[in-house]
Amino acid sequence: MNEAGEPRGDEMVSDTALGTECDLAHGEDESLDALRLALEDLRSEIRAQLPESRRASSGANDVDWLGLFEELRQRLATLGMKERFAAVDEFGMDVQALARSRSILDFLLDRYWRVEVVGVSQLPRPGPCLMVANRSGLLPYDGLMLSHIVERFGPYAERPRFMVADWFITLPFAQPYLARLGGVRACRENADRLLRKGVSVVAFPEGVKGAAKTFRERYQLKRFGRGGVVRAAIENGVPLVPVGIVGAEEAHPVLFKSHLPARMLGLPFIPVTPTFPLLGPLGLLPLPTKWIVSIGEPICLEPPGDDAHEELLISRLTEDLRLRIQSLVDEGLDRRPSVWS
Amino acid sequence: MGEPACIAVTGLDTFLGQRLVERLLARPGGPRVLGIDLQRPLRFAGRIDFQRVDLTNPTADGQLARILLDQGVEVFVHLAFRRSPTPDLEYDHELETIGSLHVLNACAAAKLRRLVVSSSTMLYGARPDNPNFLCETHRLAGHPDAHCVQNRIEVENLLARWTPRHPDTEVTVLRRCWVMGPTYTDHVVRYFERPVVPTMMGYDPLLQFVHEEDMLDVFEQAARASHPGVFNVVGRGVLPLSMLLALAGKRRLPLPAPLLYRLSNYPSQGQTGDPPAGFYDYLRYLWVADGEQTWAEFGEPIYSTKEAWISLVAARRLERYR
Repeated sequence: MNEAGEPRGDEMVSDTALGTECDLAHGEDESLDALRLALEDLRSEIRAQLPESRRASSGANDVDWLGLFEELRQRLATLGMKERFAAVDEFGMDVQALARSRSILDFLLDRYWRVEVVGVSQLPRPGPCLMVANRSGLLPYDGLMLSHIVERFGPYAERPRFMVADWFITLPFAQPYLARLGGVRACRENADRLLRKGVSVVAFPEGVKGAAKTFRERYQLKRFGRGGVVRAAIENGVPLVPVGIVGAEEAHPVLFKSHLPARMLGLPFIPVTPTFPLLGPLGLLPLPTKWIVSIGEPICLEPPGDDAHEELLISRLTEDLRLRIQSLVDEGLDRRPSVWS
Repeated sequence: MGEPACIAVTGLDTFLGQRLVERLLARPGGPRVLGIDLQRPLRFAGRIDFQRVDLTNPTADGQLARILLDQGVEVFVHLAFRRSPTPDLEYDHELETIGSLHVLNACAAAKLRRLVVSSSTMLYGARPDNPNFLCETHRLAGHPDAHCVQNRIEVENLLARWTPRHPDTEVTVLRRCWVMGPTYTDHVVRYFERPVVPTMMGYDPLLQFVHEEDMLDVFEQAARASHPGVFNVVGRGVLPLSMLLALAGKRRLPLPAPLLYRLSNYPSQGQTGDPPAGFYDYLRYLWVADGEQTWAEFGEPIYSTKEAWISLVAARRLERYR
């Protein structure tokens, strides 16, 4: 692969030496620097041979006026652009936006939901892991909180990303904020890419089914997709970490789902909570329930040897994972005296 | 296999054609260039050979094959595509799809060594179910309303069928994303040049650009040496639309989606406006392509997305003060 890259430099130099390039390319900088150094050596040699009286004044003449003018022109043209910090990572997470919203996230974590975190020390280190949690609520507050918890208390250098189901990630007005805060569309390609780069991922295999749970069905985990999480963990060689989140499911108690107006708006359903749509956008505010986040023991998976039973094995592992999370959730529910405290 | 002795280039009048031929001619002892177009390009007078072929002509394939054989062409660079979509849907289709079909037929008859075709990452389509990075193997979903994209998808489908049947010819398909730079212009650049840029309310997609020089570098390498395969020609890094506009000090005008679609449709149907139907989907959903394979094969790009954008904005600012 490197051989392919090498001749490129030569081509650039020869092109620019002939003066056919309109733009100054960065590639020629090296050869120009070498030239400049050689010129500087020559100048100092000449200066050393000059008589004492002229030595001091001779330095003033070598100002490159044209270069200076060009430099000034370029500076003027890019004024206010190059200096400005504008950078997001390749999945659109914005470090500055995160830093700005840190105090809000901390407030939500410590004061609003009074999140009790159990078992952070269980997180496998080093390296990334695939956290799997129960999904609940309308907006992905649970994923946001879990990745914030792991960044604050966990052992990883990179903030974990949380996966968001398809229609949330393209929801107007929510989409820009979700991406800035570390939300990523839930699909195998994204999970693989993040795990390969060493970034942990929070997945909610219940998907939209989980978000659509009504209040009566709370804390009963739905079917886990088609085994995508287990497959992703095996293929990337990362441990699975089951996480049970208690409290998020009462933050948006969905009484029932309305389908007909939703179809007109192109949404899968419209949740009716005690406050939404009654109070308008204000009703989207989550309730201040008490949260318990319990992080379970990591599961290290070996790649299955023979592929005759692979499908069966993966579906069994997926079901096993679901039961573990269910028991974590049940334990959390037992620890909590009431929804509010 | 060293450098090819003769390279044929179609679409000499496009930005890519002009600049690529300049680059090929720049090195002494380089290949002979055979231009194939409708009009004799005056800027290359005396420096290249020229043959007039109308690719929309039903007999263009036979004519082209004879020329390729007579001139001993080894490498064919097919760039005869519209830079911006035009209101003339029928001619666009004839030129892009049928013209490419004629080129493929002629190349098969002439048993070429290499064929380089320009394509676009817009062919993947901007869709809500795209992953954050689209690989070269991803399905080409396109956009039902954008005829320019549909034409090129047909070209790629033709190519995908043609390539395995002609194993002697290496095929390089270069899919480029939106190009930015001091001298490049197309409908996308014209859209971004406005002082007030209409955007879709509630959406802020990640965008990715490639600098014109980086793109030309890749095309030149593909013409000179063997790099078979499909490649996404993109710059490093992505930036959200709002951040790009803030960098350039431009205002954004967020409009609700239905209104924006309607507003963009009327002028393009009335054959006066620039961004065609379906353009705004590309400012709504993700369609960022993965360039790892290209960077490994052709070398690192010099400009990142941000630098390509800055070079465009800086060039336009300087023009204003000239």
